[in-house]
Order: sequence, then C-alpha cells, then structure tokens
Amino acid sequence: MGKWGTPMVDMSFITNWLMFAAILGLAALGGMFSERSGIVNIALEGMMLMSACVTALVGGTSGSPIIGLIAGLVSACLLGVAHWALTQFYRLDHIVSGMGINLFAYGATNFIALSFIKPEVPDQFLPIPVYFWCALIALAASWFIFNRMRAGLRLLAIGEDPDKARTTGIEPVQVRLWALVFAGILCGLSGALVVTNSGGFGDNLTAGRGFIALAALILGGWRPVSVAVACLAFAAFEAAQIQFQGSPILGYQLPAAFWKSLPFLITLIALAGLMGRTKAPAGLGKM
Amino acid sequence: MSIVALEGIAQRCGDFVALDNVSLHVRKGDLHAVVGENGAGKTTLMRILYGALSPSEGRVIVHGQERHYRSSREAIADRIGMVSQHYAIIPELTCLQNLMLGAEPGAVMNLRQCEDRANELAEQMGFTFDWHSRAESLGPAGAQKLEILKLLWRNAEIMILDEPTAMLSPRDADALFVSLRKLASQGATVILVTHRLPEVTEYCQRVTVLRGGKLIDAKEVRDVTRAQLAELIVGHALTAFEARELPQGETALNVQNLVVRGDRGNDAVKSATFQVRKGELVGLAGVDGNGQKELFHALMGTRGFTGLANLNGEDLSGQTTRERLAAGVRIIAEDRLAEALVEDWSLADNAVLGFQRLPSFRVGVGINEATKADRAQQFIAKFNTKCTSTDQAIGSLSGGNQQRFIAARALGENPSLVLAFQPARGLDIDATRAVYQGLRDACSQGAGALIVSFDLDELLEFCDRILVINGGVVSAPHQKERAEIGQLMVGAI
Repeated sequence: MGKWGTPMVDMSFITNWLMFAAILGLAALGGMFSERSGIVNIALEGMMLMSACVTALVGGTSGSPIIGLIAGLVSACLLGVAHWALTQFYRLDHIVSGMGINLFAYGATNFIALSFIKPEVPDQFLPIPVYFWCALIALAASWFIFNRMRAGLRLLAIGEDPDKARTTGIEPVQVRLWALVFAGILCGLSGALVVTNSGGFGDNLTAGRGFIALAALILGGWRPVSVAVACLAFAAFEAAQIQFQGSPILGYQLPAAFWKSLPFLITLIALAGLMGRTKAPAGLGKM
Repeated sequence: MSIVALEGIAQRCGDFVALDNVSLHVRKGDLHAVVGENGAGKTTLMRILYGALSPSEGRVIVHGQERHYRSSREAIADRIGMVSQHYAIIPELTCLQNLMLGAEPGAVMNLRQCEDRANELAEQMGFTFDWHSRAESLGPAGAQKLEILKLLWRNAEIMILDEPTAMLSPRDADALFVSLRKLASQGATVILVTHRLPEVTEYCQRVTVLRGGKLIDAKEVRDVTRAQLAELIVGHALTAFEARELPQGETALNVQNLVVRGDRGNDAVKSATFQVRKGELVGLAGVDGNGQKELFHALMGTRGFTGLANLNGEDLSGQTTRERLAAGVRIIAEDRLAEALVEDWSLADNAVLGFQRLPSFRVGVGINEATKADRAQQFIAKFNTKCTSTDQAIGSLSGGNQQRFIAARALGENPSLVLAFQPARGLDIDATRAVYQGLRDACSQGAGALIVSFDLDELLEFCDRILVINGGVVSAPHQKERAEIGQLMVGAI
C-alpha cells in the first residue's frame, strides 16, 4: 500500500483495462466496417445495448450461453440491417437513422428487461477470455480484410467515392449490407462482453461506451491498428476510473461523479485536440 | 470485317432524342475517332457500346455477334473497356489498388503477384509507377496512364477513350498517342471521342462525325482535311478568328517579384514579373502543375503571396477575396465542381455565387431574387447553355454546358480582371470561339484577361500575347511563335 491508498498498478487494473479495451475495440472495429463503407454509424451504442440485453435474456431462458450469444449477435445484426435499409433504401439521414436506432434499442431493452428477464432464472454467460480472443481475432481479421482482400478493397473504394467505384462495376449498396452485418456482429460481441462483465442486464447497461468507441474510431483515423491504440488509451482511463474511484488523491477526496465522467472528459479533450489530423473516408454519408 | 458494328442505334428519353439512327463501324487495329460538338451524342453512343445504356433501337454487334448488354460488366467480359472523361481514379487508394479495383484476381489477393503483373503491363507500355504510393500524387497524365493500364489489366481489346487529352499538355498528349498506336499495333482497337481535330488527322485511321444525334459522315482520315472535318462537325463553314493589333491600353494588372508558396512548402511561383494591359488577352502557356493554379489563387486572394500585385493601381495584397470580387476580379476556376459550382443547386442559385455581396444582388440581408433570375437568364443566353429552366440543378447539365455557364458568369458584372483557367475546357469549336469572343468583348470594356490553357494551339489562336510558366518561373517569349514557346514550356531555353 503506497501513499495513494492503493498500489498504482495491480492485477485488477490490468484486467479492467483489457476488458474495456476489448469492449471499445470490438465496437470501434464494427463502426469501422460501417463508416469505411460510407455509412455514418452512431448506432454502435444501440447495437451493443440490444445485444447485451438479448444475450442475457436468451442465455438465461435457454440455459445455453452459446445460444444466448448467437441470439445477441443476431439482434445487433438486425439493427445494423435496419440502419442499412433506412439509409440506403429510404435515404434517411444517417445521423437521424442512427439516433432512431439508439432510442429504439434503449426503449426496447428497457421493456424486455422489465417484462421478460426474470431475476430467479440464473444468467448464463461464456467465459470472458473468449471475448478477448474475439477482439484480437477481429483486429487481425480487419487488418487482413482491408489490406489483402477483395472485399476490403471494394469497401474502401465505395467509402471514398461510391460513384467512381460504381464505374468499375461495384454495387455499393450490396457491399454496404455486408459491412453492416459485420458491424452488427462486432458490436454484438462488444455488448455481450459488457453484460457478461456486469453479470446481468440493467437499464442502459452500455452507458455510452458506443459513443466512446465512435470517438476512438475517429481518433484512430478509421484504420484498424490506430483504432486499437486509441481504444487502449481510452480503456486505460476507464480502468483508472474504477481503480481510483473513492480513493483520495494527494489527500483530497474527489467526488465519484468526477471519476465517472473522466473517460468522457478525456474523450472530449482528445477529440477536440486531435480532430482534424485524421481524414474521414471521403464518401462518408454519400449514396 | 468490323470488330464493332453499331447499326441503326436510337436512344430516346421521353421526348428527347439523344441518338437517331446512328451507325458506327470500327475495324480491328484502328484508331477510330468519333467527333462532334457537345450534345452530338458521342458519349451516349459510347455508353451504349460499353453496356452502360441500353439503346431504344438498333443492334450492337461485337466480334461478329449481336449483343444485348444489360450492364458494363457484360461488356467488360467481352473485352470492351472505357475511360470516361472524368477519371475513375480514387485518390485515397494506392495506384495498385486503383488498378485492381473491380477486377481483383481473387477473394484474397497476393500483392506481390499483382505487383508483378502490374509492372509487366506498365513495362509493355513504357510507363513506370510507384504502385504503393497513393493515387492522389498522380498528375493528370499519370492518372490517364493508370486508366489505360486498368483497361489492359481487364484484358480489354476494344478501348473507348472519352476526351483523353482534355487534361494533358501537348507533350503528354503526344506520348499518349504513341502509346495508343503501340496498343493498336499489338492488336487492340481504340475508339477515341475527341474535340481536337489535329489529333484526328495526325493519329487516327477512320473518323465518324456526329451532329445533333445524327450520323453525318464516316470517312477514312486520309480522305479528309482538318478544315473539311471542322465544317462537317459544326455544319457550316468556319472563318479564322480575326487577328488584331496588340491592344495598347493602360496597365490593368501589374505583378512584380510575386512569390507564392505551394502546398508542399516550396515556392510554386518564383518571383514572377509581368503586366496585363486593359483590353488584352494574355495567354499563360505551360504544362499542368507548374504554378498556374497557385498564381491564380494568389491573385484571387485564396492563397497568400509576397511581392507586388496591383490591379488598376490598387494593391491587391491588402484586399480580401470579397474586396477583390467587388473590384471586378473574376475567375473561371480550374476545378469546376470543387471551386466553381454547387452541383445540387439550381442554375439561378449558382448565378449568384461570388456576386452575393454586390449591392445589385442584395436586398436587406437577403438575395435580390429579381436580379438573380435576370442574371441567370443572361448567363444562360450568353453562351447558349442548354438547360430546361433556371431551376434545374446545375449538376444535371453536361460538363460543356456547365462550363458555358461559369464562363458567362465570370464575364458578368463589369469585370476588371478575368482569370480564366482553361476557359474552353470541354467546349466544342463554336462554343470555344464564343467564349474567347466574350473575353475579348469584356476586355474591350476595360478589363484584362489572364488565360491558362494546356492547349498551346488554342492560346496561339485566340490570345494577343503569350507568357510561359515553367517550374513557377514566368517568362516572355520574343515572339508569339510555337517552337520557341514549346521549348520555354519544358525549360529547354
């Protein structure tokens, strides 16, 4: 025990750090697939929340954590496909559609949690390391898809200039469907990890982490490795928040609200300070 | 035996007839030119051959068999390739990614193998590329070369090039034709859509002339002179642009030791000294990317400069772009879509761009709708912009018609200095003459004009005096004479 009440670094700090990094990283990579294809995606939060809720509900009622996870992923994918349909077929503004999906997810999960999740049914979750591996594989796979695969090249092309891509015979709307299914799977994993970590679903469980993931995506310049680094940085503050909450700093007892808002504050500062150094896909939001 | 035969093609869209009973026969191994004015239907005809449009009537016969392409994909499978006027190069991707896009070798790409094949194709054409650099570093000539390699990458044997030299310097254009001839000698067939008649008479074997959606004539190039061809295209005899005495008005623009910083921190314009008199059309010859853009931006106030630049005795360095516009500085911008127009806006709204602060365009805090409508009509009428109404989105017009409109706008509201960057870009013979006549008229009212073009022949024909810019250095040739200017352009003197 040092002067700060707790040691600077201990095992729980490291596991928390990795935990949050995996949560943010999975969601941010999901967002990357969406935004690289040209669809602005503020619905990461909604997809995570929906997956968290459905994973808990189905996992508990079916008694199988695998079925629970799959159901969670499917629910997130459905929201992703909804976002695709709203923006691509109904030409809805991407932000409006994303906001709508977030609100829907917030309301629907609240309803599901109150009506269907029974406290007496024990929750069933996959062990957390599974998700760590998923996050690592997702990172490696994203890099490989964007740098070595036809699908990734086409995704990059339509995100930069859908019209020019069309002249080479690529159908942007079709590619975007797959991009959003991918986004749904990754955000679904992220949401499932959130609920696994907390041990059960509660209202607004994801608590804005989808937006922090979005910030990490922007700071990372929409590139897999940089996005992962940004997620690690943001996650460190989340972990620090838990570590230092309630312990005095240099003799002062800072209010819990300060610690809770710290990750968001850092996100804001980072975005304000570093925005503009990275370049968004040129075709973001275009048809 | 024709490798491509289009027979009795008609293309109608509602009441509008883009093509009416047009036929085109192309021999294998030829450079076949398709010429005609804006709206003659050249591009429409090519898009039909490329499968991007289905004809309302007529037959498309390729390799001796009738085809009904439902998409370009099917035409590509038939070894047809097309480079359109606006390059399909995506600047953020690397050259190699651009080359492969849409025709990747497999779901997973072996980049080393791809690069080997890319190098092989480049070598075959005598090009060199840094495959892993981003395509934004390519100039227009490089982009054009990459587009040609894209056709080879897709194994195209029938290559359609739409206005391929519109963006190229004389030197690069010549090099392009050397490459095309090489391809033709290797068995490729090239169909060339162009406005530039010297290219047709010098390099092509056959020429098909369209006018107003109709086939006018198809001839062997050796049987026709440039003048005859020009007459076939416009449908009437052309007289030479009338030469005149060098205007001796007072100095409008006086530039002394002007230095403009470029994007890469270098000096894009190096200590330029020159004058433009009132009444004078001064051509600025040079290869693209030698400081023309930066010079124009500096004079327009969108880029800083050091040195002296006076317009009618007023120092420009202290003036904002807004003040310069009020003083009558006008620009026909290089990049129509990025700098001159808002594509989704109507012609009427675009007519106001740049003039919105002028008293005649203002009512209180808003725009004077009457002036707006009046000027839009005026700009449309000046160079015959073809449109349905002033409410039409300008993005729906063809490039040539957009150019007519912004050229007319730049000559509106009493200009004192017109900076024209390729004013005749994408325009046909009649429209080019009309625009230069418009510049002359504006100048006779007391303005001066500084005109950039990459087409030296155009400057020689229409300008009173010519300056040359090479590597940011502006020099004046002793005479208005082609050979000396050509050498100054590449720094050979």
